[in-house]
Amino acid sequence: MTPMDNAARCGPDPRVIKQAINWALRLRNNRANVRLREQCEQWREAHHDHEVAWQRVQALQQELSGTLAAIPGAHVALENSAQGLGRRQALKLLTGVLVAGSAAWVSRDLTGWQRWTSDFATATGERRSIQLSDGTRLQLNTDSAVDLAFNPQQRLITLVRGEILVTCGAAASAPLLVQTRHGLFEGIDGRFAVHQTSDCTRLSVVSGNVAIHSPHQPNGLSTQAHAGDNYLVRQTQATLAPPLAMDIGAWTDGLIVTRDMRLADFLSEVGRYRPGYLGCAVEVADLRLSGVFRLENTDQLLAILARTLPVQVRYRTRWWVSLERSA
Amino acid sequence: MPSAEYFPCENAVQALYCTHHSWLNTWLRSRLGNAADAADLAQDTFVRLLQKTERFELKAPRAFLRTIARGLVIDHWRREEIERAYLESIAHLPEAMAPSAEARALVLELLEDISRLLEGLKPKVRKAFLLAQCDGLTHKQIAMHMGVSLRSVERYVAEALYHCYVLRYET
Repeated sequence: MTPMDNAARCGPDPRVIKQAINWALRLRNNRANVRLREQCEQWREAHHDHEVAWQRVQALQQELSGTLAAIPGAHVALENSAQGLGRRQALKLLTGVLVAGSAAWVSRDLTGWQRWTSDFATATGERRSIQLSDGTRLQLNTDSAVDLAFNPQQRLITLVRGEILVTCGAAASAPLLVQTRHGLFEGIDGRFAVHQTSDCTRLSVVSGNVAIHSPHQPNGLSTQAHAGDNYLVRQTQATLAPPLAMDIGAWTDGLIVTRDMRLADFLSEVGRYRPGYLGCAVEVADLRLSGVFRLENTDQLLAILARTLPVQVRYRTRWWVSLERSA
Repeated sequence: MPSAEYFPCENAVQALYCTHHSWLNTWLRSRLGNAADAADLAQDTFVRLLQKTERFELKAPRAFLRTIARGLVIDHWRREEIERAYLESIAHLPEAMAPSAEARALVLELLEDISRLLEGLKPKVRKAFLLAQCDGLTHKQIAMHMGVSLRSVERYVAEALYHCYVLRYET
């Protein structure tokens, strides 16, 4: 594990959380109030904990309203079931103290745990942009999580999972570092994307320069990456890779921009933005496509594919989708 | 029952199982009114014990088993209530629009998650929160809908968010 900010690990205290909630609700009710927004930004910048609490409240609200809006009948179902459950508990479990949270204490999968204990995180299909106090801009892609540890010696971003796009702020005496399971990346200047998967981390430099410090590099030597470079970094080595068949960081605009990309690769990319399985039959895997697609509604995106390529979209369930050769 | 300290190793759980399984089964049947569900949950209770990693002291094994079993009973009821309420809420949809069995299972899981999060909220607080989150009503609209003051709605929604925040990030 990398060095961690202990204060952040414990989380902001209740007073700060309540303040963050207060700000979120006030802004929600007064969207057009510029002055209020500025005051809120000042509050967020005043302390690391303020920002953490603020981002978590935002994530929580988005998660809840996103999930709930997508499920017709959710409100009625939750309200009625809560009433029903209350009645049954009152009737049948009069003895002893109710166990809050019931069986949830036993096992929580690691991803779930990470999602809620990281400083900043996004759910599947969600994106988030964070302006850090030193002027660095951090953008989280779908299903990603980071921890931050900023102090006078270093500005460390630990990528717990997923992908980030970093736009370096003004040069400072403390180095700007991104840590993944596979290596340590030092942003010198410009913009770069870091995408961590289970077996490697991909670095794509959009502009400027990045130094790769991989832990097993002989003599502590680092590799210098420049604008346009792509590297695949494993714990043992950093290798130069061919550029991706898509624009780096187009996702920050809610887009996926491809040039002659294999359909199978395209689908595995799009699959990151939706829950469930998305794949294709072998006989269409090598079809190529170029274009600009909106990520906002991936069902619509798939429907467009079926109009431009000789494929049909087969929904086995809402969350199990495969593309096949059209009849 | 003599006081003893157990690690949740298989031997200890096995001993508990032999001594208390049939008692637990009866206790669960009296709550659930259904022998098959009771047998399932009795089994689950011991599985949970095996999964527990921290050391636990066992002065009153039956009270301990009952605590775990009670949590499982509530989860079981929650699942039933959610399923019933959800199926009712989509019953009016035409067949072509009705979600498939797999899709329903996933939705039920999501709803169960959220229901667990909302548990323990006062009914008014829950209602105000659901109106804001599910239906996207403004606080003013919620105040009118519920016949309470705007101040109260703000307090309710803030309280619900705080409750969810603590459960999500701090437990």
